[in-house]
Amino acid sequence: MEVTLLLETTENAFRVLEQAREHATGLLDTAVQFTAEETRFREEKRGQILFTGAQRRRTQFQNFVGTTIILFAFWMLLSGKFDAFHLTLGAICCALVAYLFHDLLFANVRVGDMRVVAARFIAYIPWLIQQILLANIHVVSLVVRRRMPIDPRVVKFKTKLETDISCVTLANSITLTPGTITMDIKDGVFYVHAVSQKVADELNAGDMEDRVAHIFMEADHLYVEDVLDAARIYQTLRV
Amino acid sequence: MIRESDDVIVKAVARLLMPFIVVYALYVVMHGHYSPGGGFQGGVILAASFVLLGVSHGLGKTRRRMSEKVAGVISSIGVLIYGGIGALCLILGGNYLHYGKLSKLLHVTPAEARSLGILGVEIGVALAVMAVMCTVFFAIFTVGESPEDDRSVE
Repeated sequence: MEVTLLLETTENAFRVLEQAREHATGLLDTAVQFTAEETRFREEKRGQILFTGAQRRRTQFQNFVGTTIILFAFWMLLSGKFDAFHLTLGAICCALVAYLFHDLLFANVRVGDMRVVAARFIAYIPWLIQQILLANIHVVSLVVRRRMPIDPRVVKFKTKLETDISCVTLANSITLTPGTITMDIKDGVFYVHAVSQKVADELNAGDMEDRVAHIFMEADHLYVEDVLDAARIYQTLRV
Repeated sequence: MIRESDDVIVKAVARLLMPFIVVYALYVVMHGHYSPGGGFQGGVILAASFVLLGVSHGLGKTRRRMSEKVAGVISSIGVLIYGGIGALCLILGGNYLHYGKLSKLLHVTPAEARSLGILGVEIGVALAVMAVMCTVFFAIFTVGESPEDDRSVE
């Protein structure tokens, strides 16, 4: 009797031990699995950081070089002395300033070629001057007339421009044109003071906004020259 | 404490103008012995650029470029450059700030030594003025902050 009892207890003890062993191996397996996953995750993350770090360093370097060139041109314009001593001083100063402020000049630039943006901006200036002349004539005609038919109003319109630099270009173009003044930009809504109905209508037509959007390649605007460019690319692809 | 301005135009124009203002200030400093301007004026323009950044982008972003501690160090360095060049002239046997005596040290003619010496002195003056102006700006514009916060940070 006692022998069977003893056997049973030993068997029970063995079973408990067996269960404990199975638990332990299971836990170990999951632990190994977790560590493997975590290592892989960490390696992936490190790779991403390395990649984005390289990318960021590259853009930083490009910004640095671009800022240095622009600032050096500005320095030569100011200085007017082209001997070696002053040019060296200028180069050192511009490189120092560009190193300190490389993130200011080209912040929030969207994808796109800066040279195209610069060329389009330069092409925009004559059109703007023409608009300023026309608006001047309009305002003079308002002022000279005896009755002075002004009709001041605040025009409010939602813009499709996305970056701050394009909004600022549009706002300053509007302010430069006589008869209209940009009062505020709040959440992409322009508040513009216009002096007469004609000026307000021109503003609402949005010609200037379209042109600014074209400069900065925003708002998915299709223009004739863009279509022509695309047609040329398709032709070369077909040939 | 100045918060970041919420005006898009002010922020963007300040950001674009900042490097040009700094280069203009450096031009005023470096051409001080040829044209109007010099260390003090250039230093003030340099400080004005930081004030512009502080007013438009808030003090937090300005502190990242120029903190109070850095301003203190730079002002000391500026005074050290000024006093050092003056004392160097004394050691070389001239009067205080007698730049002609620097010609032996720099291996140039006394006239060129005078030109270089006054350039160095102007750089020192500009650094000191810029840093002190920034310190004044920070001191004025952090007046509203409660001193308890500062104590708890320390």
